[in-house]
Amino acid sequence: MQIIGRAIIVIFCLFLIPVTAVSTAAVKARFADGPNRVFSGGPLVSGELHTGPDPDWSFVNSLPTIEMQLLKPSLSRRIWTVEHDGRLYVWSGYMGTTVGRLWKRWPVQAERDGRAVFRIEGVRYQRQLQRVQSGDILEGIAAAITAKYPSQTTRAAIENGEVWLFEAAPVR
Amino acid sequence: MKKFYLFIAVALILTVLIVAFVPGVADTVERIFQQYLGRAAR
Repeated sequence: MQIIGRAIIVIFCLFLIPVTAVSTAAVKARFADGPNRVFSGGPLVSGELHTGPDPDWSFVNSLPTIEMQLLKPSLSRRIWTVEHDGRLYVWSGYMGTTVGRLWKRWPVQAERDGRAVFRIEGVRYQRQLQRVQSGDILEGIAAAITAKYPSQTTRAAIENGEVWLFEAAPVR
Repeated sequence: MKKFYLFIAVALILTVLIVAFVPGVADTVERIFQQYLGRAAR
């Protein structure tokens, strides 16, 4: 029994090493100007703040990801985006799984307070995230998403809450 | 076991220092973590 107990302790202690590495990388990311990959980054600080009318958002369709920061909490992440019918959209998958809900907390935070800052090609844009859950427009948005990314997003997935979709609307 | 605990303590401290200060290590850790997280969330 003593051998088994020691083996468990040894395995636990060795497991602490990767856990520490991941935790350290996550903490370090929070002090950065923007996100890197999966960990939340700090507030988007650098980059000119866009003023005036919205640009033609179609240029985002050629970008793999953009940076997005919520105002509350002021953490940023790298995110997929698509333009459809002149409007800008972001979304989160995995919302139907427990791991996904633990990992992707920003959609819930954005639904509570949708104020956000996007940084796209070095320019910052103030936006208001508004969740879109239904409507015929979902067909077109889902088609735009699957055309751009290797994604399984469908209108049904958005409507049943597996995917949370937000329009990044102008700030009023 | 005492030597083992000492080894783990040193390893943990070194891990923190290396990930925090050696360029590129935090990115590598994040990339590997992302792969596992992506699989787990599916």
